[in-house]
Amino acid sequence: MTAIQVRGLGKSYGGFPAVRDVSFEVSQGEIFALLGRNGSGKTTTVELLTGLRRPDAGTVRVHGLDPVADRAAVRQRTGVMLQEAGFFPDLTVAQTVDTWGGFTAAPRPGGEALELAGLSAKAGTRVRQLSGGEKRRLDLALALLGRPDVLFLDEPTTGMDPEGRRDTWQVIRELAGRGTTVLLTTHYLEEAQRLASSLAVMDAGRIVASGGMAETLAARGGRVAFRLPDGVDPESLPLPVTREGDLAVCRADDPDLAAQTLLTWAAGRGLRLAGLEVRAATLEDLFLDLPGSVR
Amino acid sequence: MTLAAAYNLGTRLFWRDKAMLFASVVTPVGLAVGMPVLMRNVTSEGVTAATEIFQGTLAILLSITTFMNIAVALTGRRDQLVLKRLRTSRLTDAQILAGQIASTVTQTVALVALSTVAVRVLADVPFPPDPVLYAAAVVLGSAVMAVLGAAYTAAIPRAELAAAYTMPVFLLAAVGAGAMPIPLPGWAGTLLGLLPTSAVVDAVARGDVLAPALNLAAWGAAGLVALRWFRWEPRR
Ligand SMILES: Nc1ncnc2c1ncn2[C@@H]1O[C@H](COP(=O)(O)OP(=O)(O)O)[C@@H](O)[C@H]1O
Ligand SMILES: [Mg+2]
Repeated sequence: MTAIQVRGLGKSYGGFPAVRDVSFEVSQGEIFALLGRNGSGKTTTVELLTGLRRPDAGTVRVHGLDPVADRAAVRQRTGVMLQEAGFFPDLTVAQTVDTWGGFTAAPRPGGEALELAGLSAKAGTRVRQLSGGEKRRLDLALALLGRPDVLFLDEPTTGMDPEGRRDTWQVIRELAGRGTTVLLTTHYLEEAQRLASSLAVMDAGRIVASGGMAETLAARGGRVAFRLPDGVDPESLPLPVTREGDLAVCRADDPDLAAQTLLTWAAGRGLRLAGLEVRAATLEDLFLDLPGSVR
Repeated sequence: MTLAAAYNLGTRLFWRDKAMLFASVVTPVGLAVGMPVLMRNVTSEGVTAATEIFQGTLAILLSITTFMNIAVALTGRRDQLVLKRLRTSRLTDAQILAGQIASTVTQTVALVALSTVAVRVLADVPFPPDPVLYAAAVVLGSAVMAVLGAAYTAAIPRAELAAAYTMPVFLLAAVGAGAMPIPLPGWAGTLLGLLPTSAVVDAVARGDVLAPALNLAAWGAAGLVALRWFRWEPRR
């Protein structure tokens, strides 16, 4: 089942095209990551998907509904965590969640939302005294209040310490495991790689790569790196390599096979390939290969 | 009910903001009660003068407690990105604004009622002869001023400037209603007489019904149309 469907989406700010011809689909229960550098249009896309902005071109459907025209209906099923939104600084965490419960149909008990976001210990603290990471947890608690079927998270872990980040990943995984559709943006590539099953990479408002996480990474091959033994001419190796400092790096569609070839070659000559490292492509490789990046 | 939740939020935040309470409660109520008490005691025609000035100060209450207060509250919440967050909740845009307007109107009506009793006790200003007309004028007048104040925020660049931007409105309303005895050329008096605050004072002081009703309807409609340009986020 398709939970989110985006076709030909476009949005300009006073003539500046922030989002151009963006199309993708997210299935129910899937975690979908929207990646891209700062300014690539992720937040604008999320604000279009949540009905906070009206698109100039294209269509958005969330469970078949238009988020601008049917915002009230869409909100019955969606939770939204904006990249930046304000709190009432003088309310406590518990009061904030209670106040928000008033704007939510059939809200979770406040305590349960705080428990999920790992913020129970701070229930009596005023919002102005929270750290950046704790405020982000409160943002998450509010987004989860309405037991959403579809969750939009714009940079959910920015400002969190590593523990907070891991807790949040765990919550997101559990929600998705129970059927919640999650669309998240992030510039932490590790976060996307660990959580998401599919992705789209944006650059200057356009989608430049998209698909399933595993296939997208597999399609980019991998690399084998090792220290070149003394006196060995890189030209004499059985596979082409490039130099990165004192490392020789071999890029290959199948890095395991390339490593075997190199090791067999070395064994035949009684050489050691010190510091050998074999790995599949990461999102970072994919990012660095984007046009305009400096390697 | 979500509209009720938005209403409660506006009310809760109003009574929590101590600095704002001083500006939008203590000052206007002080004027609305203080000036009639002064008149009662210094002039020979004391009760008549006190009654007149009290009716004029209703324009001050409407321009401060309603207009300035809603403009300050909405620009503050806009610039702190609270309105943006509210739009991610189940509330519609209309409910968010209607809740705030209703809460501001309630506060104004409560303060007018309080002042009406206070000047009765302290300055012998008689209770309004037509309480229904009085109540209708105050409630409708403050609803219209709240809609206009909400629409006016589109012109206010930053929250810190909200009070300063509403100052001219307050001065015009006060002068137009005769709460500030400044001699005016005839044409200026006529123009200021077209303000919604003047319409409320006319209804209360002279018992007019039709003209003030048309005036408030026109201003209310203009304000609702102008809400189209309401900004939910700060400019960037
Ligand atoms: N409200 C706005 N007005 C004008 N330009 C904007 C606005 N919001 C974003 N932009 C611009 O649009 C582009 C995309 O921004 P954004 O969607 O926030 O990207 P991201 O979330 O990927 O960092 C950026 O160049 C940004 O400066
Ligand atoms: Mg962003």
